[in-house]
Amino acid sequence: MKKILIYCVILCTTMVFGQEKFSIHGTISDQSNGELLYGATVYIQGTSFGTTTNEYGFYSISVPKGNCILVVSFIGFKDLHRQLEIKQGLQLDFEIYSNENQLDEVVITANGSGITNIKRPQMSVVKLQAATIKQIPAVLGEIDVIKTIQMLPGVTNNGEGSAGFNVRGGAVDQNLVLLDEAIIYNTAHFFGLFSVFNNDAIKDVKLYKGDIPAKFGGRIASVLDVRQKEGNSKHFALSGGIGLISSRLSIEAPMYNGKGSFLLAGRATYAQIFMKKMDKLKDNELSFYDLNLKTNYRINDQNKLYFSSYYGRDIFNINNTLENNYGNTSANLRWNHIFNDKLFSNLSVIYSKYDYQFKLDFIKLDWVSDIENYNVKYDLRYYLSDEIKLDFGASIIKYNINPGAIKPTAKDSPINALALDKKRATESAVYLSAEHELSPKLTAQYGLRASFFNRLGGQSMSIYQNNLPVIYNASLGIYQSTTPTGEQSYDKNSSIKKFGNIEPRLGLSYQLTNRSSLKGSYTRSVQYLHLLSNTSTVTSLDVWTTSGLYIKPQISDQFAIGFYKEFSNQDYTIELESYFKTTENRIDYIDGSDLIGNNNIETEILNGEARAYGLEFLLRKNKGAFTGWIAYTLSKSEQRTLGGLAGGPGINNGNWYNTAYDRTHDISITAAYKKNDRWSFSANAVYQTGRPVTYPNAQYQYGGLSITSYSDRNSNRLPAYHRMDLSATYTPSKNLNRRWQGEWVYGIYNVYNRKNAASITFGETGPGGINEATKTTIFGIMPSITYNFKF
Amino acid sequence: MVVFLFAFLFSSCTEVVDIDLQYEENRLVIEASLDWKKGTTGKDQRIYLSRTTPYFENSSARVINAQVTVINKNTGDEFTFTDLKNGLYIIDDFIPIIGDTYLLTVISENQVYTAEETMMSVPEFTRVEQSLEGGFVDDILEVTFYFDDPVDVPNYYLSYFHQEGALLPYLREYSDEFTDGNELFHFYEKDDEDDELGQTFKPGDVVDIRNYAISEGYYNYISLLLEQYYNGGSPYSAMPAKLRGNCVNKENPDNYAFGYFRATEFVQETFVFKE
Repeated sequence: MKKILIYCVILCTTMVFGQEKFSIHGTISDQSNGELLYGATVYIQGTSFGTTTNEYGFYSISVPKGNCILVVSFIGFKDLHRQLEIKQGLQLDFEIYSNENQLDEVVITANGSGITNIKRPQMSVVKLQAATIKQIPAVLGEIDVIKTIQMLPGVTNNGEGSAGFNVRGGAVDQNLVLLDEAIIYNTAHFFGLFSVFNNDAIKDVKLYKGDIPAKFGGRIASVLDVRQKEGNSKHFALSGGIGLISSRLSIEAPMYNGKGSFLLAGRATYAQIFMKKMDKLKDNELSFYDLNLKTNYRINDQNKLYFSSYYGRDIFNINNTLENNYGNTSANLRWNHIFNDKLFSNLSVIYSKYDYQFKLDFIKLDWVSDIENYNVKYDLRYYLSDEIKLDFGASIIKYNINPGAIKPTAKDSPINALALDKKRATESAVYLSAEHELSPKLTAQYGLRASFFNRLGGQSMSIYQNNLPVIYNASLGIYQSTTPTGEQSYDKNSSIKKFGNIEPRLGLSYQLTNRSSLKGSYTRSVQYLHLLSNTSTVTSLDVWTTSGLYIKPQISDQFAIGFYKEFSNQDYTIELESYFKTTENRIDYIDGSDLIGNNNIETEILNGEARAYGLEFLLRKNKGAFTGWIAYTLSKSEQRTLGGLAGGPGINNGNWYNTAYDRTHDISITAAYKKNDRWSFSANAVYQTGRPVTYPNAQYQYGGLSITSYSDRNSNRLPAYHRMDLSATYTPSKNLNRRWQGEWVYGIYNVYNRKNAASITFGETGPGGINEATKTTIFGIMPSITYNFKF
Repeated sequence: MVVFLFAFLFSSCTEVVDIDLQYEENRLVIEASLDWKKGTTGKDQRIYLSRTTPYFENSSARVINAQVTVINKNTGDEFTFTDLKNGLYIIDDFIPIIGDTYLLTVISENQVYTAEETMMSVPEFTRVEQSLEGGFVDDILEVTFYFDDPVDVPNYYLSYFHQEGALLPYLREYSDEFTDGNELFHFYEKDDEDDELGQTFKPGDVVDIRNYAISEGYYNYISLLLEQYYNGGSPYSAMPAKLRGNCVNKENPDNYAFGYFRATEFVQETFVFKE
């Protein structure tokens, strides 16, 4: 209530002091293909009045009556200047020209375009264009967003061959990954060697590292907002590539006389590429493919419709004995509506699903699990004045989770059919947030998100003595599952458990000079879904679960401060940020926990806590023939789980221990150099402290085997991870003026063939059965060649 | 599962490395397995006591001069084991009774360790067969045993396959959680790359096959032990943990013993692969 009052006071004061102004609004797009540009800056030359375009390329700016020069600027594009005489409100759509294929250096005007980035309170955010992602050398030439963001400070993953990514010491399931607003539950192809994002279909990617705007919710560590291209609205275009692992093809074209356009992109692997050594195993298959579709239709100046969709699949089949397939499906229908020059709205209806299946032929078993959701959200942005912009909206998500169903595939199978209880829940939220210029130097962003979670009935829940599904067995010194004492049934219309949380989001930016600023932020975020995973690395088999009777929502508080500076006409930028983050109710697993096919997951877990802190440094060179960045992160990420009501000291004796994604040092260097129109080069280098692991501290003989005694959880580390990659792109010069444009990309991943340890395992594998340590390396030196084309 | 898939994909990129490990755990290890072969008297039993050693020394530090007794809590019978002074403690007049609960007491260096376990019963094999078509990979030989799982009771088993001439047995625990009351089977098949003898089964190979009926507590213990034994350190398996058995030290709880006191009935067959 108090907050609302403050809003009212602010609104009134700004209205009183307003002079005669008119609104100019419209969209900014790329002249070459009509793609709307997200994050382009629009400002009045000689003033600090400026705004940036939203996800749909929309802007609105108030301009005082009279003459002015409006400037539109965006990195990678030439600035556009337009002399205007303002007498009334206007709709002005601009198309700007890309710098691409321009030998001349970009001329930056005095009032540089980055001004609003320095000024805006939003921090801990990185935006990457598809073109930037494409520049970075990739393993086997497979360009990958998830790999690229790991070159940024504060982002890591568990090494090659692990799914997902970790942001600021957060777990993989704490990232909200959105593809055109649809939730992607698993970003991995080939167990994480590649990701589900086909770069040809992507326009841009924005990663919020913990300072999450109020319009997003449901995950506590980050939001990865991936947006697909709308499709070329100017002319038919074909692009694609042929690589070692996969081939890609995408088609874009205008539709309905330029009122709409579409993009259809596909990617598929060559099956059996990894099967070369498996000559004795016939009929194997390892492959993935995905399809991206996006179309839009402009009804009129005020209304526009978008439809986008994704379908991807991984298939793994050994000898028809073991078959494994999984993938994401998503669809989103959006309606952009401009109420007036100051109020922009978008309504989205979204569906997404992740499903996993495996079949074991030798015991005639079939396993299926999935999670799906329906989501309706309505987001509005109100350009109240030059000083205040409001974002508000509401969202509701309905989740259906099938944690697993087993069926026999033949009559003589020893398997009995079993279906775990399906879980249903709704997650709804309303939010209001303001970006408010308090003074020319001080800008605030403040907002509230109220989230509600309702774990729905329609099933029975096990009940336990003293409400304790796990107890400490003091005589054996271990945590044990207890046996349910009965069941309580909940009918379909009732609720098993409800949660509600208020999530404040605050940010403040103080401009020290035109070119530098200080920012601070506080974010509380709440997560109601959890990925059950007791391994160091999440896998495609892991099942999602909801908060409910025994699992509480994860609540995270992050405090961050930062310093930002631009040099030499924005050629260079420096970002220095420090954060401290605590998380309540992080699930931890008792020793020997059994998560698969378990209807009573609560008997395997305890609620713990996590904390992470760190310092991040990013130096970027943004312009010119030579671009790139240096990122350094110094950080710590730990977790602890006390026994609590279950008794006993807790997991790992109740001591804090390193999470599997704790990295003390993480350095990444990325550089790209455009020599001339024909040749460009890029390189990157990575150094990371090794992953925390648990090593043996003794052995003993038992049952004829040498059994390992392990030290405390994650108290050791793998050797440091480092490597360097190079790539060169050659564009044949005869291409320059032709419609068909081809390029060859030559790459070498891990140039000096560093044998990085993906894992070190211990066992009686030495000569005569002696114990030895074995290191597994995934990628040594990997040359690649890719041919890309555009038409 | 995923561990397997990954091993499959990347098995060629491994190398043995030197790792400097700390020796931090010095404990008594009790291997007290009262295993009664079905159809025998079960009066000969042995218990093995040792201590932990540094990881890369797979030797066994034998523990002598301990007192080892087992009491049948249902009948009150007490069985005292004889110290052979080589780590083994034996008895030749033990009386196994299905369903009875036994109490183990080990006194070593003034520390008293105790454990309790109930003896479980096992079904007979219905048949033991070799085949080329079954198992994981077609066209290579495997041996499979079959038996009927009792209906409506949770059962836990440990299968044991040991090829004559091989150094290590192959052990797997399993339960009837998803297969209650059905005819169950377990097979043993060797991949020539993973096998210590470097080959798949061929006619003439001899395998000692056993199936033990185990308690739920031992099932929990041995499943963690075997998971860590076969996948230890893989990022796709559960984080390794301390293995706590059922041998407790009441006066000095932190000084518990590794190992386990189990009481099982088992069926055994020696299988010879045929042409």
